[in-house]
Amino acid sequence: MAEAATSQVWRERGRTAAITAGSIVLALLAGAVLMVVSDPDVITQYAYLFTAPALPLGATWAKVSNAYGALLLGAIGSPNALAETAWQAAPLICAGLGVGLGFRAGLFNIGAQGQAIWGSIAAAYLGFTLHLPPVIHVIVAVIGGLIAGAIWGGIVGFLKARTGAHEVIVTIMLNYVALQALSWLLSTPAFLRPGRVDPIAPVIAETAAFPILFRQLNVGFFVALAAAGAVWWLLDRSTLGFAIRAVGANPAAAGTAGMNVPNVTIITMALSGLLCGLAGVQYALGPGADLVATPLSIGLVGTVGFDAITVALLGRSKPLGTVFAGLLFGGLHAGGLAMQSIAQTPLTLSTVLQALIVLFVAAPALVGALLPKVKAPATTSLVGGEA
Amino acid sequence: MKKSLIGSGLVAAMLLAGCATPPPAATSTPAASGAQSNFLACMVSDEGGFDDKSFNETSYKGLKDAEKQLGIKVDELQSKTVADYAGNVQKMVERKCNIIVTVGFALGDATAASAKANPDVDYAIVDYSYKEPEKNVKGLTFNTAEPSFLAGYLAASLSKTGVVGTYGGANYPTVTIFMDGYAQGVAHYNKQKGASVKVVGWDRASKTGSFIPGNQFSDVAGGKQLATNLVAQGADVILPVAGPASEGGLQVAAESQGKVSSLWVDSDGFLSMPKYAAVIPSSVGKGMDAAVLEAIKESKEKTFTNKAYVGTLANGGAYLAPFHDWDSKVSAETKSEIEQMKKDIEAGTLKVEA
Amino acid sequence: MNVLYGLLEPDDGEIIIDGSPRTFANPREAMAAGIGMVHQHFMLVDVFTVTENLMLGREGGPVLNPGAARKRVQELSSRYGMPVEPDALVEDLPVGVQQRVEILKALANDARFLVFDEPTAVLTPQEIDDLMRVMQSLRDEGKGIVFITHKLREVRAIADRITVMRRGAIVGQAQPHSSEADLAELMVGRAVDLRVGKAPAHPAGTRLAVRDLRVANSAGGIVVDGLSFDVAGGEILCVAGVQGNGQSELADALLGNIAPLSGEILMDGVSLAKASPHATITAGMGFVPEDRETDGFVASFSIAENLILNRSTDAEFATGLALNWGAIRDNAEARKEEFDIRAQSVSDPISSLSGGNKQKVILARELSRPLAVLVASQPTRGVDVGAIEFLHKRIVAERDQGTAVLLVSTELDEVEALADRVLVMYRGTLVGIVPPDTPREVLGLMMAGVPFEEATKVEAATPTKEDFHG
Repeated sequence: MAEAATSQVWRERGRTAAITAGSIVLALLAGAVLMVVSDPDVITQYAYLFTAPALPLGATWAKVSNAYGALLLGAIGSPNALAETAWQAAPLICAGLGVGLGFRAGLFNIGAQGQAIWGSIAAAYLGFTLHLPPVIHVIVAVIGGLIAGAIWGGIVGFLKARTGAHEVIVTIMLNYVALQALSWLLSTPAFLRPGRVDPIAPVIAETAAFPILFRQLNVGFFVALAAAGAVWWLLDRSTLGFAIRAVGANPAAAGTAGMNVPNVTIITMALSGLLCGLAGVQYALGPGADLVATPLSIGLVGTVGFDAITVALLGRSKPLGTVFAGLLFGGLHAGGLAMQSIAQTPLTLSTVLQALIVLFVAAPALVGALLPKVKAPATTSLVGGEA
Repeated sequence: MKKSLIGSGLVAAMLLAGCATPPPAATSTPAASGAQSNFLACMVSDEGGFDDKSFNETSYKGLKDAEKQLGIKVDELQSKTVADYAGNVQKMVERKCNIIVTVGFALGDATAASAKANPDVDYAIVDYSYKEPEKNVKGLTFNTAEPSFLAGYLAASLSKTGVVGTYGGANYPTVTIFMDGYAQGVAHYNKQKGASVKVVGWDRASKTGSFIPGNQFSDVAGGKQLATNLVAQGADVILPVAGPASEGGLQVAAESQGKVSSLWVDSDGFLSMPKYAAVIPSSVGKGMDAAVLEAIKESKEKTFTNKAYVGTLANGGAYLAPFHDWDSKVSAETKSEIEQMKKDIEAGTLKVEA
Repeated sequence: MNVLYGLLEPDDGEIIIDGSPRTFANPREAMAAGIGMVHQHFMLVDVFTVTENLMLGREGGPVLNPGAARKRVQELSSRYGMPVEPDALVEDLPVGVQQRVEILKALANDARFLVFDEPTAVLTPQEIDDLMRVMQSLRDEGKGIVFITHKLREVRAIADRITVMRRGAIVGQAQPHSSEADLAELMVGRAVDLRVGKAPAHPAGTRLAVRDLRVANSAGGIVVDGLSFDVAGGEILCVAGVQGNGQSELADALLGNIAPLSGEILMDGVSLAKASPHATITAGMGFVPEDRETDGFVASFSIAENLILNRSTDAEFATGLALNWGAIRDNAEARKEEFDIRAQSVSDPISSLSGGNKQKVILARELSRPLAVLVASQPTRGVDVGAIEFLHKRIVAERDQGTAVLLVSTELDEVEALADRVLVMYRGTLVGIVPPDTPREVLGLMMAGVPFEEATKVEAATPTKEDFHG
């Protein structure tokens, strides 16, 4: 019902946006401090702060502007950079949508990692075993990955709904199971690349890969955007989404109103797993910098399941917010790689920036206190008094 | 209020530290150790990063050695995820590196693809070799079974319980090659001495053994658990082959009050893990730094070929480290036997299956 | 009052104690200034003993001194005539005694001013009498008492001065001898008809039949034990009883939220004993839950969304999987008009409404479709007098359309105003079904478990005492 939102709602949204922007600025500032402190060449210049202020300040400026310049360049500085950002963002968006959907139903899905692993296993397996015509092959592989993720998530929903098992515990454990399963599968003849003994699967057939549009920009990115649109429709325009939101906001009232809370839990977890599975599919079928999809191996999906939690938090579990958050983190990652190659800044810094942004977003009162112009949202006024 | 606190803290720090006199401008040139050559050698890590206290770190040392010894420029990129590999190799191509060294079998595909696309650039890959390599790719592998054989012999001679153990980070060929050589060394000792020292943690026939769940080379606690299990089975000398998680074995040895000792792999543990020097009889060294240096040198001197480098006892790419503090505890007899076996292996008269 | 107790900080204005302005950042500071609070929902730790609860927040250093605290409990309870067992676990005590603990807690902090927030909602009439006596003795000891209530009868019985608040502002002062009608007018801002204009009921055939119903609570205790009754169409049957005697579970079982252990529930002859809430609602049961904030609506949802909470998949509001937002909004506008819901926009979150308007939304939702049975629990709890009048009228109107109404209430005023028959429940069993004009004293005794005949006798034999509730 966004179109009829009152001014109060808009004010609240403005504050939320300001907090997010403020968080990014503060994170960049904190990152700059870290860079200076951790670089002995720069920090030693601070001995001359009063005698020759140009030395330390100049060195600081050179260091920070060089690093953030490289970050910006690597993230959005060229068509190639934009393509890489989109490529990095696609799985983050998918998994962020999955985790966010869980949040909306009051479910804390920590299992995005395991669900993405299964999505990547299924998609890659269908990608390298089957021989199908171009378009059909990629569709089959995607669907396989979606189903695998949905099953892995659905198990959690089933256990929670029928036995009361807490989803956080179950998903964490299932992450281990998924990782072990992948590592075992990679030692079996079905998955092991012929002639190889180290755990790496064959390269997928070209017919199964997401078609390349420009460098790393492939169809997968648009699949992620379509997924965001689908989730928006689901949550805002469908009866199921209505039930998901009601169960998430107040399960007691939803149950009293006749909604089947256990079923909604199972369906939501399955859908959440499906979206996380799609993130795994992105890794398995999306061509990388060498224009071929990375073959299945232990670390293929990286830490997407955990990054997804931060993406969903930053995106406030809203589809559009998640897309922006995914792009931001994708850009930070792409830019971070450029930053270490151009500005010799450790890759860890981009991870620290991500963490700091989410930290500030989670503590809006802190942002309000540090940036007096930014008012903390009313909901946290208990602690944000002085802003 | 917070702001003013931070502010006053900064001011205080500056008042204390900010009054030094700047050096004359002339010294502002960078510490120019060399860099006479424009040759650029580059390295891409796997997801472990260059600070993994394991093969990334040792390989990186080779790059730094090359920088110093050959007077060349170097550059390096760390990967955070598997998906970064191809992009990072590509970035190195764009930076016009003369040789790109990649670390780990997982970069095999990305390295081969990039090599094919850029025939003018040389490539070397640590711990991996291709069956049919491109003309410009050199695999850097290590026959660590040879020094592990010696380590197994040493372990058997040191064991009081008649049981020695080993565990691995994962059931990968680059891991099990150590365990296999180790077990052969113990068997050789039994044959020579008519002893019956047992190996726990690795079975040569079935190729199964103790590995850290989840292939987590970073899981020190998991390594410690496995080492504890081995000790419970009677082992008093352990060979952990698990990257950083090998430290778990050292911890168990350090807490055993001299009952258990633990070997080390990849580098000389006496030097790289000084905290545990007292419990490390010796180490199985893997000269990745030497191999990297060698490959870069070949590339610079234009003698580069795609023939895989294999580190052995003979060329020093694989070695048994000195005994250091344990020198007195290893009998003269064992020392001379090990010396003899080393010669026999180098000469090919004593076969170690890899 | 949360400002007074330091739970919220005031935006403006001041609190003056003994002539000096004070502000409280937290309850600890308020306590130190001599303000004690008896909350509507007790702030007690259930699994602690009475003594331990009294020590909370005043542990006095790292080493506890239970002996001294225990002595203090005994001293205070005898001084103010509030017998309490110091070593009993709070969860084992009856509600009335728990409230005594809450009062003792405030007194143990040397409170000079005591704020009572709706203290009588959970008490039997007899317990209310006891509370009134305690309040009087506290006053005579020199304590200042602020008694917050919406029950006009209690106000008139105990107050020395009356201040009437409406929407956060003081709208007037009154004397204890003012009439109920005058007080109500002050509270609402217009003349209020306290008597529901209710025509005699014309009960038709039985629409809801309950037979030998047994229900367990989540802990496994039997809380409804062999209950049988009928409700006819066009009739309001009130279930009276002190809170916690099985009424909540009875309502939940009727809806299908709890599966009964045994027994039968028939609505228009159709068995609902094993039906889900969805099936029950679809079959024509309207349900107003006892705890509005928890079970009645989704606070973050808009008014429009809450108005279709139990009908989101109806053909009227959805086509296949897709919600029909146009119909949802039209419905909301119509209900807003019909039920006089005071809101800026139906897109506003329901949490922005007053208690009475929230309840109007719930009632609007339940009454906007044809019903066979309406089960309404505490429909006017925490609702201002003006809204009560409206809600009562709507419930009677629903009765007059031929719906069987089961009204669960702990407030005898409401029971008296609405009931055609009164069913008194005590510990999950039926004490009796009596006419609505049964004397309050008799109802009170029945709510304590005394059967009707006996209650009538006892009441006749008891000499008239100071009368707070009749």
